[in-house]
Amino acid sequence: MTTSGPGIFFDGVTSARHDVTVELSTDTLLVRSVDGRTLADWPYDRIEELSAPQGLLRIGRRGGITLARLEVIEPNLAAAIDDRSVPIDRSGTAARRDRRKVVFWTIAATVSLVLMAIFGVPELATRLAPYVPLGAERRLGAAVDAQIRSLLDDKKAGARFECGNADAEKSARIAFEKLAGELVIAADLPIPIRITVLRKSEANAITLPGGIVYVFQGLIDKSETPDELAGVIAHEFGHVAHRDGTRHVLAHAGTALLFGMLLGDFVGGGAVLIAARTVLQSSYSRDVEATADSYAVNLMEKAEGNGRALGTILDRIAGGSHPIPKVLLDHPETKDRIAAINGMARPAPAKPMLNNTQWAQLKRICSG
Amino acid sequence: MTTFDAPAPAAPLPLRRAQPFFIQIPSAIWFLGRDRDYWRLMIRGVALLAVTLGIYRFWLTTDQRRFLWSNTEILGQTLEYTGTAREILIGFLVAIAILVPIYGLIFLATLDLGLIGSLAGIIGFVLLSLLGQFAVYRARRYRLTRTIYRGMRFHQTGSATAFALYALLWWVLVVLTLGLVYPWAQAGIERFKMRNTYLGNLQGRFEGSGGRLFREGFVLWLVTVGPIVLGLVIFATQLDFKLLEDIAANITNEDELKRIFTDNAGILVLLAFGASLLTWPLMTGFLLYPVFQAITMRWWASGLRFGDVAAKSSLRVGQVYGAYLGFLGWTSLVSIMGSFVAAIVAVLVLGVGTATKFFEDAGNLETVGVAGAIGGVMLYVILALVYSATYHVKLKLAVWRMVAQSIDLTNAGTLDTVSSVGAPASPVGEGLADALSVGGY
Repeated sequence: MTTSGPGIFFDGVTSARHDVTVELSTDTLLVRSVDGRTLADWPYDRIEELSAPQGLLRIGRRGGITLARLEVIEPNLAAAIDDRSVPIDRSGTAARRDRRKVVFWTIAATVSLVLMAIFGVPELATRLAPYVPLGAERRLGAAVDAQIRSLLDDKKAGARFECGNADAEKSARIAFEKLAGELVIAADLPIPIRITVLRKSEANAITLPGGIVYVFQGLIDKSETPDELAGVIAHEFGHVAHRDGTRHVLAHAGTALLFGMLLGDFVGGGAVLIAARTVLQSSYSRDVEATADSYAVNLMEKAEGNGRALGTILDRIAGGSHPIPKVLLDHPETKDRIAAINGMARPAPAKPMLNNTQWAQLKRICSG
Repeated sequence: MTTFDAPAPAAPLPLRRAQPFFIQIPSAIWFLGRDRDYWRLMIRGVALLAVTLGIYRFWLTTDQRRFLWSNTEILGQTLEYTGTAREILIGFLVAIAILVPIYGLIFLATLDLGLIGSLAGIIGFVLLSLLGQFAVYRARRYRLTRTIYRGMRFHQTGSATAFALYALLWWVLVVLTLGLVYPWAQAGIERFKMRNTYLGNLQGRFEGSGGRLFREGFVLWLVTVGPIVLGLVIFATQLDFKLLEDIAANITNEDELKRIFTDNAGILVLLAFGASLLTWPLMTGFLLYPVFQAITMRWWASGLRFGDVAAKSSLRVGQVYGAYLGFLGWTSLVSIMGSFVAAIVAVLVLGVGTATKFFEDAGNLETVGVAGAIGGVMLYVILALVYSATYHVKLKLAVWRMVAQSIDLTNAGTLDTVSSVGAPASPVGEGLADALSVGGY
């Protein structure tokens, strides 16, 4: 039994439109022109359905040399072709199954990339950081330094931004260098340290790649003993020793690559990205700070200082509870840190790292 | 023998639906798709984009194109898009493989403190801009070779590198002349693209003239950019730069600033005038963008030629404004609904929390804080995605439809006599365009 009906045919050689009769024989679909010539003879299993508007069945021959196209509008004829040809899928069942597979695998890929960002990237950065040559790290530090300096120097103090250069500050500087020097000798780092006091009122200290350490005036003001100040500096030396600056740059580049390039910037994706990065960053930094703390305790004891002093000053600066949820905090819960420090450190030695005169001098390092 | 004996429809408009409120004039190009179907496609698409952090975009883009192409009917025959998501995903991965080393080199170069370091930023910018234009051209080639009309493939010849240099040069000129040469830049770039565009063996070309676009758009330029130029001229001639230096030097010293300003009241007026001149183009730009779009789209469509087939667009400014108003209306609706949902959730949480004294425990409060932050980010993402879907359906689709339907063709008979040439092109350009965010349809 043959079924037939009207169609529109393009032979793929020229763009001429042929109004044709479509004949459905047992094994093949025949396209006949008005004058009875056979324009196409397509086996049913070789037919492929092509993208078309609703209400139109557009088919071609799979793997055909030309782009011959047959268009059928007549719904009963379209249904009859669908019945006979397995590849044709007008109900969309096969397409939906394929799409479900795509959705499953894209979600799987997303999960794997996110896991990579959480666990893989920091691990990779830690493994790779030791292989970054120290020369490269110092250059990285110099590049970052210029930016950070202009960022920190918000009052545009320029040369006066560094403490210890004025005549009145000279003796303070000698005391400061004695304190820092003892730590440098005890630490025996592979990279020369450049440590500078900045006229900045926050009680903080930061480390840049390449052994650049900045101690803020506010920290010196808040320190009650030389060992407390030394404890924070030792903590910063921990960042230098573990090459945390370089690790941070590597990890940052890694997540930027994962989130920025592989995952697209869809609308609203920016917010997800920032949120994800904040959470990730704080989980990286919690580990990093804890490691630097334990390094600091060891270093302080090597330099014959008080390992617990770091905990004391931490408590003074960041003491009290934070109203912000802990995942969003950059530093680990201060209480946990102090407890860990006290757990590691031996009881305080009899005398502080600087005598009272030296300490009084040091405190005046930004007085000029 | 069963014969479905409807005669093959001779009229070229078999699939066009009668549209309410419009008198259906048979026009050369018609868009058959309905908003409803595109909504469904977009909503499902953006939801999957969110879940897959954007990886789904290859499939969504392909679905969008299939919808737009296959519903665009030219002289009774619809276009066909044969590209697949898999192709552009692979193209994208190849593009990443090309781009990562380039980004790496630029990053390493910026670490150098000498001349290379200070130049690295500029060189990188130029390199990426060139690569961006290269990608634009290659992506166009990909899309054209995946477009089939009447069994004929479109294709594109010409060197993408030459195009990138040519286009970048024009864009530099556009910036340097504050947009005055934009019409000639567009005309030049379109000429380059279209003379390398073929449907089978039928070569395209572009006949829109820069001078014409300039005449149509000059008033827009005058209204938008003119005040900036005027402001710059006034500043250059009237502003006392010595005084400005004084102000900058004393920016932290309030008393001194007061003294400077009372002695030179004129400078305040001048500065305020300058500020208003700078906000002016933001305002006019926002209000006049639909006019700009209507003018450039009509000019562009009217310049398209394939052999002796010529297109002429009758797009009206009012139509484009209509599309923008529709979009604004829908986004307002979405915003109101979004705020409403957020308000209800907040009231419920606060109410239940207070009633059960849940908030009195600091630990609970912290949990609620975290949940609130996550909820906020989620609400933001959902709203952004719904906006994006609205943008695609109510604006991009609307403009596509009205531009298509505004076009009339002369000598359309030539489209019956095209012969086939051209093979499909690689999807790497498309991938580069995606990675560099210079895509589009």
